[in-house]
Amino acid sequence: MTPEPNPSPSPISAASQGLASCHVCGKVSPVTVGHCPRCDTPLHLRKPQSLERTWAFLIAAVILYIPANTMPIMTVQGIGGAEKNTILSGVVRFWEMKSYPVAIVIFTASVLIPLLKVIALVWLCLAARGRSQTAPRSLSRLYHITELLGRWSMVDVFVVAILVCLVQLGAIMTITPGPAALCFSAVVILTMFSAMSFDPRLIWDRHHEKPNPSSSLPSLPTNE
Amino acid sequence: MNRHHPWLSWPQISSEPMQVACHFCDTLQTAPRLRDGDGAYCCSCGERLFRNRPRSLAHATGYSLAALFFMGISHAFPFLIMTSGNVTTRLTLVQSASELAQQNNPLLAAAVVFFTIIAPLILVGGLLYVAAPLRYGISLPGAIVAARWFQKMEPWSMLEVFLLGLVVSLLKLGKLADLEFGTGLWSLIGLVLCSAAAIGGIDRLELWDRLEISRLPPAEIPEPAPPPRA
Repeated sequence: MTPEPNPSPSPISAASQGLASCHVCGKVSPVTVGHCPRCDTPLHLRKPQSLERTWAFLIAAVILYIPANTMPIMTVQGIGGAEKNTILSGVVRFWEMKSYPVAIVIFTASVLIPLLKVIALVWLCLAARGRSQTAPRSLSRLYHITELLGRWSMVDVFVVAILVCLVQLGAIMTITPGPAALCFSAVVILTMFSAMSFDPRLIWDRHHEKPNPSSSLPSLPTNE
Repeated sequence: MNRHHPWLSWPQISSEPMQVACHFCDTLQTAPRLRDGDGAYCCSCGERLFRNRPRSLAHATGYSLAALFFMGISHAFPFLIMTSGNVTTRLTLVQSASELAQQNNPLLAAAVVFFTIIAPLILVGGLLYVAAPLRYGISLPGAIVAARWFQKMEPWSMLEVFLLGLVVSLLKLGKLADLEFGTGLWSLIGLVLCSAAAIGGIDRLELWDRLEISRLPPAEIPEPAPPPRA
């Protein structure tokens, strides 16, 4: 079944009727009830302090992103002495060893996705404040992608955990996790919290209250 | 097989049309009841509101039970056996975390334990606890809390990410030592597939409707309403 095209030009938001839909079970009830009658979750018209919390988690993540990339994520101790690897030096080594798929996976999960996630969330926050002309539908899609991809950044932390456990080759070689492993997992967790605190309905609120002046004509139904 | 479903297979708390607010744009709309396998989409932004998944509780029960079995097996057997010289290492989920804890990284160890052991357990166990008795209209004590919790655990259960991490570390280690896959690995893959199927196949509308009904005294259970107009 395909989505229905726009039947009405100006949709009514639940918030304007004093109705809140439960975050957990989706039941629509008057916000004055306080708690959802079905699942007892506290009801809010919008996630409370959504933008402030999103920014706070985001700023904390950006600050931790610096040590996560500059400090060693693991130390390999072999016969030739200790070798400290950062995330990027690991990627470079795999690229030089011609293991392109591994290099690409690590680079995407540990460098690219966190960066793009931060950029996407900043963009979404600005759009919710009305600082962006991007179509709300594209922003919703961006939010979906941000939510979906976030967890995959954890790969590098798990790699360290597995390697630390596996490599106990007697006196030949040991691997110890570096400080970056902890920082990096904090970055992933904080960006996940940040995405969870963002309320995509704020984008549509902005869109409904300030209609685009160029589209004063009734918009044609889009069949997307 | 496409069965004709004139009306829902579970009772409703009220026979009036259901009001739904889109979680993305907050548009208030009256939602239709759906046939098996159909989805309802927001009339303003086009996001999917909900889907009617056929026999969702039976699927959830079966898959989450299977996932629990796989979970037990993957904790009991190592998923990787590495031999290098005369040293043999057997890797299990618990061991990879305890090794981190021993190397003065208790926070990292706690994160690994939470993402690969606790969150999947709450997710799968909670689902089984809620879905299995609910098929017969019974909700066990605390079922609502359990349902809330397993929904919250969904993004934090990262076993599939762990599997990707395993692949990457295998490629890193491949030349250093002899590697052998254990029973645990196959059960871990089974666990990832089954828990994804259990969570993906559940019809949240049915789950919450049934939970709501099951808390009512028997006399107040409404009759199934007449079928909708075609």
